[in-house]
Amino acid sequence: MSDNFKGMGAIPGIAIGRIKLVGQDLTKYLAAYKPGDKAEELEKLNKAIEMSAEILEKNVEAMRAKGQDDQADIMEAHSMLVQDPMLTDGMVEKTEELGNAAEAVIASSQESAAIFAEMDDDYLRERAADVLDVGKRIAKVILGIKEPELGDEKLILCGYSVEPSAVAAVPDEKIAGVIMGEGSTTCHAVIIAKSRAIPTVVGLDKTADELPDGSLAILNGKSGEIIVNPEPEVLADYKQKLKKIQEDIARYLALKDAPAETKDGVQIQLACNISSPADAESAEKYGNKGIGLFRSEFLFMQSNDIPSEETQYESYAKAVKACKGEMCVIRTLDIGGDKPLPYLNIPKEDNPFLGYRAIRISLQHKEIFMPQLKAILRAGVFGPTGIMAPMVISVDEVLQLRGVIREAMQELEDEGKEYSKHVQVGIMVETPAAAVMTPMLGKYVDFFSIGTNDLVQYTLSVDRINPNVGYLYNHFHPAVLQLIQRTIEAAEKHNIWSGMCGEMASDPYAAVILMAMGIKELSMSAPSIPRVKEMIRSVTYQQAKEILNAVMDLENGQEVAEYLHKALGEK
Amino acid sequence: MREEKFTIVNEQGLHARPAGQIAKESRNYKSKITLTIPETGKKSDAKSLMGIMTLKAKKGTVITITADGEDEDAVIERFGELIKTGFGED
Repeated sequence: MSDNFKGMGAIPGIAIGRIKLVGQDLTKYLAAYKPGDKAEELEKLNKAIEMSAEILEKNVEAMRAKGQDDQADIMEAHSMLVQDPMLTDGMVEKTEELGNAAEAVIASSQESAAIFAEMDDDYLRERAADVLDVGKRIAKVILGIKEPELGDEKLILCGYSVEPSAVAAVPDEKIAGVIMGEGSTTCHAVIIAKSRAIPTVVGLDKTADELPDGSLAILNGKSGEIIVNPEPEVLADYKQKLKKIQEDIARYLALKDAPAETKDGVQIQLACNISSPADAESAEKYGNKGIGLFRSEFLFMQSNDIPSEETQYESYAKAVKACKGEMCVIRTLDIGGDKPLPYLNIPKEDNPFLGYRAIRISLQHKEIFMPQLKAILRAGVFGPTGIMAPMVISVDEVLQLRGVIREAMQELEDEGKEYSKHVQVGIMVETPAAAVMTPMLGKYVDFFSIGTNDLVQYTLSVDRINPNVGYLYNHFHPAVLQLIQRTIEAAEKHNIWSGMCGEMASDPYAAVILMAMGIKELSMSAPSIPRVKEMIRSVTYQQAKEILNAVMDLENGQEVAEYLHKALGEK
Repeated sequence: MREEKFTIVNEQGLHARPAGQIAKESRNYKSKITLTIPETGKKSDAKSLMGIMTLKAKKGTVITITADGEDEDAVIERFGELIKTGFGED
């Protein structure tokens, strides 16, 4: 009989492997440990610290040589912690006090971790886990515990708290997946897993320490499902799926440099959505052409105060440069009551999605908006750049936006700073009001980018996360399709470009009809690009037009989806 | 022994990256290097990444660098420059 568990999908992908419990509990080892006299214990402690530092340094070198920089950075931080006088002095003191090096190391690292855990900064708080990890590493050397033997089978590392070093220690060919009891998706273990694309499920709570060690398991990093001891037919089925995924990846990577065009040569630009300049670099391998959405919020969320013009400029300039001459669209601050910034004091609202958010905040807070606009204008020197305003509902807002941009240019002029006069100004079409108004808004902007996540939500009055109504959310709903078509046609009439940066853009079936409507650009998370490109390359423009004509007559979203799947086949 | 006061100028203060840089570079010197925040009285060995981060030095915080050893002048010069240039961050 197989056992099924469900956590939260953190890093998508399917993994098949043997469960290896790594959230090692040292209690029984500590109980069995027989300490020597004080001098011996101090000697053991020093040796263990030295050895741990040496091993870490070697690991860092090996990881750098393999180009695994994210992982190497984290292990380098551990290597510094192992040699940190504050931590090691504490360990020496505790050893003198307790006369037991192993106990002392654990106790002292727990004390130091507690200091970090109390800090008022998310980043520092999470470092508590690193300190504990380092302590355990040293204790294991003292206790003589060997790292797990790596057999021939791939492993799924599993534990309530999987330490970053545990993930880092297992090479790619040996690791299939990671299961964590904790719910964090930003802890170092998950970051390392992400940088190596290891399927990961989190949030299994205490169960993670109780899964049967050594059992065969299947893990789905998207749905969060875990099947322990699967039935043979289920296993065969998943092996088949895994094989298909691997074949798809190989095929997709081969498409990287192929143009995104139909069989009869109609081209469309496939750009990527990013949240930080680092994303732009990792997007390259998927063959993106430019950035259709840079969510500038990240800069504001990772900071304790409004990021300065310089800090923003550096980030935007990096992204613009990464586009290598293609367009880079930067969305101005898109926050509200649902994703607040502590230093902005936005009051809690009953209805944040209909409240004080996005452009509504920016236009009232020039001290926030001005540095952002100036930073974008300056970054524009490095290549084609666009400023995109979120949540617009009126011509008036666009005129105000234009006014603030003129002021920003004047300030830059006065300060003698270099900037681009050719930065495009556009809006995100994500409210039904904006979509209906596009024939008028088109006079005042350089582009429209359709944000489908909110557009669908507002048009259908459906909160997609609400489990009771989520099933009503459908980007093929005829009302949504008509608003999109209206937007694209308005752009054509005004001779400006239209794109899409919502999730719908990553749906290959949607891409076909959007292209037929005349959209010029689709922007999506980078890994979706090859799938959409493959679809575009499999049809002719004529065919796409015929399909569009047929679906625009259909009366509900479900029918549209079914029609598309029938006409285009399962992809 | 030499001692000098500097003001932190980079936006984020002595967060992980600059703290790491100080801890790493201080290993290159023979002097005993101590960082003190006069306002709070908090002290840290400059070789300790953890210690530096617990100083919670933000933009505008005044910090005293004390160096004692044969290369103390070089220490004050190098660390002073790092702090004054905001660790190359802004």
